[in-house]
Formats: sequence, structure tokens, C-alpha cells
Amino acid sequence: MEANTAKIAEQKSPSSLNILLRELVRDKLALVSLIFLILITAFVFGISLFLNQAEIVTVDLFAINEPPSDQFILGTDYGGRDVFGQLIIGTRNSLAIGFLVTVISGVFGIAFGVVSGYFGGHIDNFMMRIIDFFMVLPFLMIIIVFVTMTPSYDIFTFAVIMAAFNWMGIARLIRSKALQEKELDYAQASKTLGSSNFSIIFKQVLPNITSLIIVTMTLNLAQNIGIESGLSFLGFGFPEDTPSLGTLLAYATNPQTLEFRWWIWVPAAVLILLLMLSVRNVGEALRRAADARQRRG
Amino acid sequence: MWKFIVRRLLITFPQIVFLSVLVFIMAQLMPGDALTGLIDPTITQEALEIQRERLGLNNPWYIQYADWVTGLVQGDLGQSYRFKTDVTAVISERLNNTVLLSVVALVFTYLIAIPLGLISGRYNDSPLDSAITGYTYLGFATPIFIFALVILWIFGYQLGWFPTSGSVAPGMQPGTMEYYLSKLNHSLLPGISIALISVVGTVQYLRSEIVDTKQKDFIITARAKGASENRVYNRHIFRNSVLPIAAFFGWEITSLITGTVFVERIFGYPGMGLLFLESIGQRDFSVVTALTLLFGIASILGALLSDIILGMVDPRIRIK
Amino acid sequence: MAFLDVKDLQVYFPIKGGILNRTVDHIRAVDGVSFELEQGKTYGLVGESGSGKSTTGRAIIGLEDVTSGQVLFNGKDVTDKKAKTKDFRKDVQMIFQDPYSSLNPRKRVLDIVAEPLRNYEKLSKLEERKRVQELLDIVNVSSDSIFKYPHEFSGGQRQRIGIARAIALKPKLIIADEPVSALDVSVQAQVLNFLQEIQKELNLTYLFISHDLGVVKHMCDNISIMYKGRYVEQGSTKDIFENPQHIYTKRLIAAIPDIDPKNRERQFKFRQEIAKEYRESYDRYFDGNGLAFGLQSISSTHKVALPEKG
Repeated sequence: MEANTAKIAEQKSPSSLNILLRELVRDKLALVSLIFLILITAFVFGISLFLNQAEIVTVDLFAINEPPSDQFILGTDYGGRDVFGQLIIGTRNSLAIGFLVTVISGVFGIAFGVVSGYFGGHIDNFMMRIIDFFMVLPFLMIIIVFVTMTPSYDIFTFAVIMAAFNWMGIARLIRSKALQEKELDYAQASKTLGSSNFSIIFKQVLPNITSLIIVTMTLNLAQNIGIESGLSFLGFGFPEDTPSLGTLLAYATNPQTLEFRWWIWVPAAVLILLLMLSVRNVGEALRRAADARQRRG
Repeated sequence: MWKFIVRRLLITFPQIVFLSVLVFIMAQLMPGDALTGLIDPTITQEALEIQRERLGLNNPWYIQYADWVTGLVQGDLGQSYRFKTDVTAVISERLNNTVLLSVVALVFTYLIAIPLGLISGRYNDSPLDSAITGYTYLGFATPIFIFALVILWIFGYQLGWFPTSGSVAPGMQPGTMEYYLSKLNHSLLPGISIALISVVGTVQYLRSEIVDTKQKDFIITARAKGASENRVYNRHIFRNSVLPIAAFFGWEITSLITGTVFVERIFGYPGMGLLFLESIGQRDFSVVTALTLLFGIASILGALLSDIILGMVDPRIRIK
Repeated sequence: MAFLDVKDLQVYFPIKGGILNRTVDHIRAVDGVSFELEQGKTYGLVGESGSGKSTTGRAIIGLEDVTSGQVLFNGKDVTDKKAKTKDFRKDVQMIFQDPYSSLNPRKRVLDIVAEPLRNYEKLSKLEERKRVQELLDIVNVSSDSIFKYPHEFSGGQRQRIGIARAIALKPKLIIADEPVSALDVSVQAQVLNFLQEIQKELNLTYLFISHDLGVVKHMCDNISIMYKGRYVEQGSTKDIFENPQHIYTKRLIAAIPDIDPKNRERQFKFRQEIAKEYRESYDRYFDGNGLAFGLQSISSTHKVALPEKG
């Protein structure tokens, strides 16, 4: 008897994550994107361990704006800093911040949405009004203002500021799904079984919307990488000594750089584009997979 | 319909109040106050205190907020520290440029999006459609600043077809025909940059809408009656799919504002977006506050307008 | 003192409207329903869709808010949501109609059946698994399927898993909301018989909600017929089936299918007669709004909704 149950325990049903991953592998473009993402992440995080960030961001006036050479694979910028090194560290920072913002805004948005949808009624009404207010804010300006005003400014505060104006989309999505789920009998049954609202929300309802969460978070990651590089491009992203992909692009606002020194900004532009496209490809493939699953019931 | 509009307005009002409170809090957090922009540095501490008292800067926050709102309603946005003049004057100078840029961007958005969407939807799964879909796929993932940089690089520098910075050629006499043409010429490239990115959503919407409508019974009926393919598209599908697009421009305002900030920076185009970036760099906070408020109000009113237009076009929206 | 005593229960749902989204009217889903339940008995609540029978059950267990009236359980007032204490929740359980949506698709059978146990009893993993296996044995679901997911079971099996979950805490009252209507007819009898078996074993009381008079006749000791939120007729099973007084009850009983094809002609004529009587005497049985009148006693167990005499 004991041995028997132990054996059954091993043949678990596939989790939603497993199903999504399996569908992902079938989608060639998404698979290539995923491999690219994994490689680039491993590469930038691996290489940056051996790079000396302080050395890279140190101004060297004897090597200004040098084109690509053996010494500097992608040349140098106006401060004589190695572009390749900045590219590696920039990609790492952009990925990290994108991930951080996605997680912070995701966790808050999911909690907000699921509570609003689950309780419904006046609570939902009130919480949705809050979302309406946030949705119409000119969030770019407000983020910029907060970024400039925050006294002790580091990567984490930057992520929090970005997340503070970025959680509404996922909250809305989760809320409408939670609104449907809580009407289903299994959630109602949990109530009659004496489960608390808290445990119904997190143990019963949430596992049923995981595929939606995974898909949305992936698509948000692409969006957040874009917003971060945009803010860094404008000069309101990372602290000055921390390069990001947007920082490299910002050099191109100098007409001289834009016109004659492609090596400074083109690689960063291509990299942002590739990153955003691949994350999106993966996200879209996941979305299709999640839909197909729903169709099958 | 009236009920819907009134209900929608009831949401708008608190939105504006919320925005104003948020901006007010931001303004309080910023270093400096209304006096910073005015006084000469030699003034004594007591004189300063008297001035502060006179201007109500020592009042509790809610009275200051009330004063501030009263000022706003009367068009008083404060004093610019950098330009030593009324914020209203500073902004209105830049406002024209940004409005021009936005209008150019909107016009091009619709000029490009509607034909692309119609073609893509009508001949779906043709090579032409694949090309258009490929473009929207790329455009969706491309941040506007990268796109604008590339456009500037190609058409501004490499090909030299358009001016690469400013809003008007130097030495032009305001009021002359050349002056206005030069202004328009300067706004074309930045405007098109915004448009080429913002078409993406509209093209995708139109395409899926048309592909959907194609299968509907009333279209099949129209075909069965012997209506020509062109007539089916122009009379039946076009009307059903394009009308809602007219409503989108209000919602576009938010993304348009974001777009202008980037594009004005890249093209060195002296509009409100660039003014915002300059002011925050120069710590000219009264201008920053005023601009944030204006942009916010524009977004709120844009969303309001869109909702109302869409409510008129599509009765289903009103029910909710 | 009755085991469960429902007095003049009303459940209204607001209709929102107007500019400020105020409540402009109500839907009277349950409009003045009273009944008493004895321990160990089965009480049937019958009506068509929208008659308020499910809402009545859901209001008693606390899934809907009670607008007015009183619910007494073992003499304690449990009308208010706050009064529905942990003990009450433990004593009163529910079996749901749809065995496909009432089990969480993301949970294993073990987690599903153990959910009430985890809420009320602190068991070790091993004890918990043992209890779940015992429960599954009771409902005749192979007890080595505890690591399977609901979609791997048939409808009948799922419903029995739902029943296992409902009896896990040894409740006193079970509200069965159309427990077999989503099942194949061949499985229905099996589940019904099983419900009767465990009733005897565990001394359960059922509030049995159904639209199927045949099923109710088989299961219940007392029956109430509901229509548009009100009672039409109330009595023992014998009263209702052998001596139906209200025209609505008569029509429902006439509609029970007869499996003997030889009776087909006679059955058809009988239904025609009842339908005719229904049309002709409609005004005597329903008020101006098409609602049933208040109940009048016609015997010690039998009540019918008729206009007041005189």
C-alpha cells in the first residue's frame, strides 16, 4: 500500500508551466528567440563577471571616439570608454532592471487585480477607479520628475518608481479573470468548506490563472526593457556611472556621433530591438499556447 | 446617450482633481518655491520672510493648494526661474510647435494606417498583407526613440532631404509664407517618425476588424445580392470598421505626448516635450509642474473625448 | 425545536441603473419561504429554473446574502453572514450541481478532498492521506487515484469525489443542489442510491434541490414546490404525489415521463386535460402579477398557495 502510493506520486500531471513550455518548443521562431535570450543572458552575466566596470566607465582622454580596432572591439565613445564593455554591462543592467520592474509591478498588479476581482461589488468599484486615475497619468513625465527628486537614488528605487506607474495593465487583466473564476463552483465550494478568503484567493483561484500571469509578465518584460532604455536615453534612467543600453543610444543625440560614429549607437539599437522582439516572440507563443489549452477545455 | 455622457463626466472631474493633487504634491517636494525665481540674491532674510508671508507660503498645505488651484483657473502657472517670466508665456511659445507636430503626426497616422489596414484586411494572407503584418510586428517591438534616430540618420543626414533640427530655418520673418512652409517642413520628419510607430495599433485593429467582418452574414448577403467586390468593401465593410478608428485619436494623445518628448529631443525640436526635459535639467520646477499638469489634463480630456465619440458610434459601449 | 428552521426567507438582488448607478429595483429571487427540517430526513425543494430553489439553498449556507427572514440551525440564529461561524460551516456542507466546475482543475484529488480537513483538523501528512483514502473508499472511488487531477475522472466519479469532500467533516446537514442533473441518466440512480446509503450510515439530513420530480419522489420525505420565488405547495411526498392541490403541481406531476409505451396515448390525453385546466383556472391560482398566493393549510402536513377564503 505505501509503496503503491509512492509510485503514483511520481506520475504527476503536467503543470501549466510544463504545457506552456512544450508548446513553446513546437513554435520555431519562439524557440529560436528563447535560445537567443538564454544565450545572451548567460553571456552578458558571465562576461560582466570578468569586466571591470570601474575601468570601463573611466574617462580616457587619449582614446576618444576611436573606431573599432583590436584593442576596442566596438571602438570608444567621446570619453574614451570601451563601447563593447559598456554594451555588455548595459545589456546586463537593462535585463536586470526590466526583470525587477516586471516582478515588482507584477506582484503588486496581480495582488491588486485578484483582490478587486474576487471581492467585487463596492471594493471592486473603488479599486477600479484607482486604476482609472493611474491610467490617464502622463506616466513618462511623472516618472522623470520622481527620478530627479529622489534623494538616495539607486537601481532599486528606480525600479520601484517605474513599477509604481506600470502595474495597472496586469491588474486589470487579472481582475477580469478573477471576476470570472470566483463565480465558478470550485471557488464557491471552498467557501462552504470553511476556507478563508485569503486561502481561496491564493490557493484556489491563483493557480487557475497562472498561464495568464506567465504570458502577461513575459510581454510586460519586453515593454519594461523598452521603457527603461527610453528613460536612460533621455538621461533619467540609471545613475550616471551605470551604463544601460539607453545610455549608449543617448550618445547618438550628438549629431556627430549619429552621423559618423555608428559603432557607438548602432550595436545598442540592434540589441534592444533583438531583445524586445525575442521576449515578445516568446510571450506571443506562450499566449497562443495558453489559448489553445483553453480551447481544448 | 446623455446619461452616458454625464456619467463619463462624473468620472472625469475626480480624475482632474486627483491629477492636480498629485502634481501639487510633486511641486511641494521640489526644492524651491514661487520666490526662488524672482528675488535677487542680496535680499535679507527678514525681507524674504515678509515676502513669504505675503505670498501665503507659510499657510497650511490645503490653503496653499486652494490658492494654487485658484491661480491655475485664472491662468496663473507661476514664474519661470530660468526665463524670469510667466510660465504661461514660456509655455505658450512652445505650445504652437507641439500642437503643429501633433497634428502632423495624427494626420500622417491616419493617412498611413487606414490604407495599410484596409489592404491588409482585404487581401489577407497575400504577400502584401504579409509585408504589412511584418511591419506592424517590427513596429510593435521598436521603441520610438530608436526608430526616430534611424529615420533622422537616413533621411536627415544620409539623404539630406529634411532639416535635422529646430522648428524653423533661421532668419525667417514670422508671418511670411516662407516662414510657415519652413515650420511645416521642420515638423514633417519628426511627425512622420511618430506616425510610423503609432500606425501599428490602428493597422492591426483595422486588419482584424475587416477579416472578422468579411465572414459576417450581412456581407455574405451583400455578395449574394450581386454587389461588386468594391462596393462590398466601400459601402459595407469600410463604414463598419473605420468609424471606430475616428474615436481612437483621443486615446492616442497619451502616447502622442510620450512620442513628442522623445522625438523633440532627437530632432532638437523646440516644443513642450523638449521644454520639459530642459526645465527638469535646469531645475526650473515651476515649468515642470505646469507642463506635467497640462499633459495630464490633455490625456484625461483625450480619453473623455474618445469614450464619448465611441459611445456615439458604438451603442454597445454605453451599456457598461 | 426543529433541526433547521427557515422563517420567511427573502433574498433580493438589486437592479442597478440611472446616472449614479443606484439600486432602482429588486429581483425577488426568494420571496418569503419557510420550512422546517427534521434530523435524518430529506427535504425536497422543487421548481423550474429561476424559481429560487438554488438561491434558497445558497442563502442558507451563506453563499448569498439574506435580505430578510430568519435561519435557525439547531436553535441558533445563523441568518447573518457573521453568524455563520466555523462550527456552522463544519456542520453544513454542500454538493454542487456541476461536477466539472465544482472541483478545482489545478488540484489533485488529495488536495481537493483534504481541503476541509486542512481547515478544521491538524493532521500529519500521513494521517491526512489515510483519511482521504478512507473517504474515497466510502464513495467507491479507487483510493489509489489520490494523485490524479479531476479531468481524469468521469462525471459520476467527480460527483462522488465532491461528495467525499462534503462528508469529510462529518456534517449534519448537506445541501444538495441538483446533485445528479448534470450526470448521465445511467449514473444518476447510482449516485442517488449512494446518497441514501450514506444518509443512513452517517445520520445525514438532506436539503435536496431539484427540478426533477421523479428524483425527488425517490429521495424525499417532504417536498415543497417553488415558483417565482414563492411556495406553491408544501407537504409530505405522499401529499404531493397522491393529492396535488395546486394546478402548477398537477401540471408538473403530469409532466413526469412514463416509460411504458402502452400508456403513451393515455398520458398524452391526461397532459392535454391538465394543460387546459391550467389555462382556464390560472386566475384562481395566481395573483395579478402571476405570483402564487400565501399558503393555506389543508391538513396537518399539507399546505397549498390559495387566495384567502372569503
